[in-house]
Amino acid sequence: MIRNKRLLVVFRLVAGAVFIWAGVLKVVDPLGFAQSIMNYQVFPRTLAFIIALVLPWVEVISGGLLIVGLFKRSGALLVSLMLIGFIGLVALALARGIDTSCGCFGSLSRRADVGLILTDIGLLYLALCVFFAKPK
Amino acid sequence: MLETKRLIREILLIILVSVILGAAVNFPLLRRFLADEFQQSFLDEREYSGIRFITLAEAEDLFARNFQTGDGAVFIDSRSRQDFAAGHIPGALNIPVGELESERKTSAGAKLSAALPFPEGQVLVVYCEGGDCQTSVSLAKLIHERGFTDIRVLSGGWGDWVAAGLPAEGSS
Repeated sequence: MIRNKRLLVVFRLVAGAVFIWAGVLKVVDPLGFAQSIMNYQVFPRTLAFIIALVLPWVEVISGGLLIVGLFKRSGALLVSLMLIGFIGLVALALARGIDTSCGCFGSLSRRADVGLILTDIGLLYLALCVFFAKPK
Repeated sequence: MLETKRLIREILLIILVSVILGAAVNFPLLRRFLADEFQQSFLDEREYSGIRFITLAEAEDLFARNFQTGDGAVFIDSRSRQDFAAGHIPGALNIPVGELESERKTSAGAKLSAALPFPEGQVLVVYCEGGDCQTSVSLAKLIHERGFTDIRVLSGGWGDWVAAGLPAEGSS
């Protein structure tokens, strides 16, 4: 467990900024994101559409809360849960040989590959450190 | 215990706010979805007016016209290099969508332009594996962005083509 408060603030800012950025890029193009979700061939159409409308806002709000420092443990937990989901999805896509863009940063998305999983694991580490830091 | 309850309450609150925002901001889109506008794909028809979905029969017709009158279509296979090598529609071009997406940011589509030396009015038929595959739609969007205005996505893809016993070329 990391106790250095400054380091934890940096972790919050980094994870928060990434999620706000990722969320905003998807908020502006919900249909594009819905298509990206369909590319993973996991969710039925209606569920993909609902996720495409709601998830970007969850990302923006949790990212914002992490940055502001309000409800930060809930924000960190939500961010962690999302990251675990993303890692699972990308791993599944790789295992099934689905070659697709990750859809994580709207039209700026990179390919869903092992590098992306490592990036997500890094972010997950930051979020978990924030979550497990002792509350005041 | 108290802390856990608080966490759950806050998370539910965040999700609730997100649902409200997502529904409010995208209300027109939600109505279009409920009106079944996005049955085949999440393509905005207004934005991608040059893309439409075709059946196997239409694709077969375009394929036959390639040999009869020469006014058919160029077939584009969006699957991976390996899948393409194993079998594809005769004469099809292979443009794996994953490779193209990675290239897009760096070369601004230069490679795609090189791979598609056709006039903009050329009829293109894009296909992927079939079933739930989506790469044909992704590729169609990328091609559409380059100014091609008649792109047809073969919904059933390679799977339907093979199942119907239509001509194929490749190693297997």
